[in-house]
Amino acid sequence: MSDELKEEIAREIASNTILVYGKGTKDAPRCGFTLETVEFFSNFGYPFEVIDVLENVPKREVLAELTDWPTLPKVFINGKFYGDTDILGPMAQSGELQATLSDVFGSAPAEPKQTINLR
Amino acid sequence: MIENAALSDLIRTQIPDAEVSIYDRTGTMDHFNLVVRSEAFKGKTLIEQHQLVYGALKPALKDGRVHAVELKTIVAEN
Repeated sequence: MSDELKEEIAREIASNTILVYGKGTKDAPRCGFTLETVEFFSNFGYPFEVIDVLENVPKREVLAELTDWPTLPKVFINGKFYGDTDILGPMAQSGELQATLSDVFGSAPAEPKQTINLR
Repeated sequence: MIENAALSDLIRTQIPDAEVSIYDRTGTMDHFNLVVRSEAFKGKTLIEQHQLVYGALKPALKDGRVHAVELKTIVAEN
């Protein structure tokens, strides 16, 4: 059971370069900190995914164990755990996060707020 | 819900020299803004510093006395 959850989480982390486990969805965050994190990444202009685990208590417990981090949201970038905006905020201020992201994505972000339809 | 003194004590069980500033964000004594200063953070990444504090807060987060934490850690010199 918990192994299945671990595999599910590993898959999700592997298939999303920026992944946020939070309360609620990207369009309808159900927690102030999740909203803050969605706004934070929206400003960067890179694609990111939010997975709602509010109602999934077993998955939240596995996530907490995996990261030594009891609270939501939890952010993963390129498979690595980055905590939440308490960590990412200072990293953005120092420019470390921008460097990490452009490294990981291999390019500068699309202009924030500009919609690009890739087909 | 947890009293400030109990919250500081909990953090000091894992980080004995911690200086803790507590701000109750919502007036309900379960959503906190915490600033923790300690020499124990020296040489640790920001994430490891936060994990140290969260390790100490685990019981209170688990039983619901604390719902949400906004955390800032400061490395104390000497």
